[in-house]
Amino acid sequence: MSAITVGIALVPHPATLELLGGAIHDLAQHWSLTPETLWRVEESGALVPNGFHAQFRRWREARPRRCVAHGVGFSVGSPTREAARRAAWIERLRDDARVFGFEWITDHLGASRLGGRELTLPLPLLMTDASAAVVRTSLDELRAVAPDVGVENSVFYFHLGDPRDEGAFLRACLREPRSHLLLDVHNVYTTALNAGLDARELFDTLPLERVIEIHLSGGVDSDPRWLPGGATRRLDSHDDAVPEPVWELYERALRGCENLRAVTLERMEQTVEDEADARSVEDELRRARRMLELVRG
Amino acid sequence: MAEVTNAASSEHDERERGVAELAAYEQLLARAFSSRSPLAVLRAARDDASTPPGLREALAKLDEHGVRISSLIVTRLRFERLLNGSRRAGEWFERDAAGFTAAFKRYQDAVEPKASFAQDEARAFEAWCAREGPSVAH
Repeated sequence: MSAITVGIALVPHPATLELLGGAIHDLAQHWSLTPETLWRVEESGALVPNGFHAQFRRWREARPRRCVAHGVGFSVGSPTREAARRAAWIERLRDDARVFGFEWITDHLGASRLGGRELTLPLPLLMTDASAAVVRTSLDELRAVAPDVGVENSVFYFHLGDPRDEGAFLRACLREPRSHLLLDVHNVYTTALNAGLDARELFDTLPLERVIEIHLSGGVDSDPRWLPGGATRRLDSHDDAVPEPVWELYERALRGCENLRAVTLERMEQTVEDEADARSVEDELRRARRMLELVRG
Repeated sequence: MAEVTNAASSEHDERERGVAELAAYEQLLARAFSSRSPLAVLRAARDDASTPPGLREALAKLDEHGVRISSLIVTRLRFERLLNGSRRAGEWFERDAAGFTAAFKRYQDAVEPKASFAQDEARAFEAWCAREGPSVAH
């Protein structure tokens, strides 16, 4: 039996949580939480736990479960630090880490906040030494929450440079000890499709020895009405089944990521519509676990 | 000794260039993605001789469709944040989707995106509505 666990991301949406009850409570060996979805902001600016925080806390108290944190709002690549915002964020995260026992914390590579403006979508970074130093500084701040920290290889719909250089850039961002890569396999597939690259070649450029966690998810193509000429881009939308090429990359990752500790299935809130959808998510969790056991023993 | 001094000075210059480039990057992307046309802003920076060379080079092979998609997603995320936080916005959207969407565009142009959470986006929207007066009295 592998010590690597297969789990699911908990989303802040009651109907989705209810439909996915079997996957969450019976099949998942760990839960991935996005801390900022468990907070609300008061008029004073204070970040306080919301109702999902209390709900997930009760669940974990009833049936203890390994938990990891995976955020999107810390904006590890923002050159301007916004010290007060960061301090409040870290304080809230530390409290959550005490409650949920986060084994590690990751966020997305990129900048979702720039010049004090909230853009929410992680945008691409300049792949330079100075930019990697900014990411390393952010990861050092996150170490106040958990000793193991990291970034996910995000999907960027455009790049500032060649996407094939991202592996080297990630190495520079993650060069300190206990700095990890959260390998989102669907993101590799999506980036490759959108940039006209071979997904396996792109995959092989990544620092696989740094991978602590794998994310599995699906997505769809953008609406042809969105872009001139009916062009489309594949979206990292987490709203569909994990496609076969992603399962193939997952097998490659299981063979190549020697320091892997967890595999997490992601599905966006409000995209599980009925019991049949919920069963297919359960099947995906079982498949991820079966493949893990076959490859890693 | 002179060689050591020169090497240190060159390293320092390199670091300074890197920092200046990052500052320009941050200003540019913040401005672009809170504008109606990020692509036009990025193209102008690419063609502007005062843009740091490293940034200009990075902008040289922009995937323009990718910029458009990113811009749509940034806007949609703010729209959803507002609907999640503001009952007034939600009810308005239910009642009059086109009217609300037009008002949202005006809000977006008028109010910088500072809010990370639904509650503070809602408060910013309420304040804007109050400033706008009867034209947004829904």
